[in-house]
Amino acid sequence: MTATEIIVEAADATPPRSTRSVGAYLLIAPAIVWMTLFLVVPMAMIVYVSFWTQTTFKIEPKLTLDSWQTFFSSSTYISSLWTTVRIWLTVLAMTFLVGYPTALFVGLFVKNKTLQTTLLVLCVIPFWTSFLIRVLAWRPMLGKEGAINILLMKAGIIQQPIEALLFTDLSVVIGMTQIYVVFMVGPIAFMLGRIDPNILEAARDLGAGFWRILRKIIFPLSLPGVVVGAIFVSVMVLGEFATSAALSGRKVNLLGNIIVTQVGSLKWALASVVGVILTFIMGVVIAGLLRIVDLKKEL
Amino acid sequence: MRAHVAEGSVLRLEQLTKRFGDRAALDKISFSVNSGEYVSLLGPSGSGKTVLLRAIAGFEAPEEGRVSIVGEDVTRKPPHLRGIGFVFQNFALFPHLSVFDNVAFGLRNGGDKRTESDTRRRTLEMLDLVGLNGLETRGVHQISGGQKQRVALARTLVIKPKLVLLDEPLGALDANLRMRMRVELRRIRERLGIPFLHVTGSESEALAMGDRLIVLDRGAISQFGPPGEVYEHPANPNVAKFLNCYNVFDGSVQGDAFVTNHGPIPLARRVASSTPAYAVRYDRLTTRADAGAGLSAAYIASEYLGSAIMHFFETPDGKVVELEHHLSNGPPDAYEAGRTYRLSWRPEDGIAFV
Ligand SMILES: Nc1ncnc2c1ncn2[C@@H]1O[C@H](COP(=O)(O)OP(=O)(O)OP(=O)(O)O)[C@@H](O)[C@H]1O
Ligand SMILES: [Mg+2]
Repeated sequence: MTATEIIVEAADATPPRSTRSVGAYLLIAPAIVWMTLFLVVPMAMIVYVSFWTQTTFKIEPKLTLDSWQTFFSSSTYISSLWTTVRIWLTVLAMTFLVGYPTALFVGLFVKNKTLQTTLLVLCVIPFWTSFLIRVLAWRPMLGKEGAINILLMKAGIIQQPIEALLFTDLSVVIGMTQIYVVFMVGPIAFMLGRIDPNILEAARDLGAGFWRILRKIIFPLSLPGVVVGAIFVSVMVLGEFATSAALSGRKVNLLGNIIVTQVGSLKWALASVVGVILTFIMGVVIAGLLRIVDLKKEL
Repeated sequence: MRAHVAEGSVLRLEQLTKRFGDRAALDKISFSVNSGEYVSLLGPSGSGKTVLLRAIAGFEAPEEGRVSIVGEDVTRKPPHLRGIGFVFQNFALFPHLSVFDNVAFGLRNGGDKRTESDTRRRTLEMLDLVGLNGLETRGVHQISGGQKQRVALARTLVIKPKLVLLDEPLGALDANLRMRMRVELRRIRERLGIPFLHVTGSESEALAMGDRLIVLDRGAISQFGPPGEVYEHPANPNVAKFLNCYNVFDGSVQGDAFVTNHGPIPLARRVASSTPAYAVRYDRLTTRADAGAGLSAAYIASEYLGSAIMHFFETPDGKVVELEHHLSNGPPDAYEAGRTYRLSWRPEDGIAFV
């Protein structure tokens, strides 16, 4: 049940209509004020600014499509749009492929509740260090003389160090997957933990093997968790710039990196254009994901 | 205790033992269920009923003993290879599937490849048998408790198990529905001829439904026999207590009498038992004339049960004694609260466990 439903139902008990609606609106008022001030107004502002006229050193509130034209006519910007989409989809797939089995293990196979919580906390421990350190720690791992190359060479699997490990799409994907996988694991493990063990036993009793139970029972029941996890990961990856800056040697330019550069050189109008495009993509992605399941019903 | 092992039975347990830590949840359970038989399993909460069913179905591995299905030892086999259907107490329906898909689930698993039209036909047949026609496309959240119960049953029966285990199948239903489902369960089972092993915490359900009745107490079988026999001749004081129709008094045998705190009671029927006690059925007590055996107790209250009325009395040392008056025997006597009455019964109606 959502918060507004609770409010409406609670308010139902008070008979006079007028006090009822006034009371209900009073409850929601702080949230509305907050959202208006810090979400709606800034968003409207960004859309507005994206139509302003930008000259080298200053920006004027004279409406023009110039910045939009600049964005869509530049192959650099367009290709960074595709890079963003490509990295996002890859990281989304990777966090799912790594996260789902992990969640399955934690949420379903670990029967002891204390151990379950401990394992989930372990997933969160990397967050006790700063973002930058977590990202930069991949450099000595993936570099030409990094740990992975040394290990592979010692083991005689490769003769030459693999250079493609660092400063490529691959290193960015590896870095992001490691950072964001926990946001996939959490919601999925939560949904899996809620599955009644009797349901799985019933399925076993009816002759279903492990894979069939996974496909027909466990996965559908955990789907809301997958969707919530995918939303978390998507929103964070689409807005990313730091991981790609640190691990790609500036070769992978995401929309987030462009915003940073443009803001850095005071190109507010173009930065706003990219911001609007990014927000639009996120909106479409979230709306699309929410179509898969009815979260209101499931949670 | 007797061993209840017969040849040619559908289910046969031999010395089945299951421990959690050093506590035995099941202690050397042996009995068998014959084909076409309806066996009810009665026991107080925590007596091991669920563990027993789970061990039979293969969800718990017993430490000792054997489980055989139609002569085949299945002790080490996984649940789905045992040919046993399990109906869970909370139904355990697949929440994301429709009524139809819930029932068809087992058919679609089969190693034997069957066509979708065959699956469809058998599923619809089964839904028809349990009285759920027209609800195929509903989600399992959109049906009533009784209907969920039927889906759970249909889902289990559709794969033609050799034996069906039901764990308090009616426990989640209200009293009215429970009565209707009792009749339904028996009808469905008679149509299919599959043996049922039905766990229940309700003595009236156990007595009404079973061809035979197992009484389980602290992981061991106290008694196994036809309901009438168990009801009339409880094997020990605990069985008499679970049946919820006996006044059971503590005490000991001295000469020709069973001596309780409430005075001596003449002995007629003796049953060997490890703990001494004296039991007499609620409906054998009277306050009208002295029938030979008896005690004095103060009247507390009455409870109207429809066809009978229960009168509650209390002895001076605080033991509550129940007297059941069947209304077919005329209107109930009027008692005065707090007044002491002489409750009596014929000596041959009492059972002395010695
Ligand atoms: N997984 C387990 N681990 C440890 N002890 C258990 C486990 N399952 C059951 N037990 C214990 O075994 C005993 C029998 O439990 P069981 O669930 O069979 O009782 P029951 O007769 O079904 O009771 P109820 O009528 O309340 O369902 C109980 O004392 C219970 O605490
Ligand atoms: Mg139980």
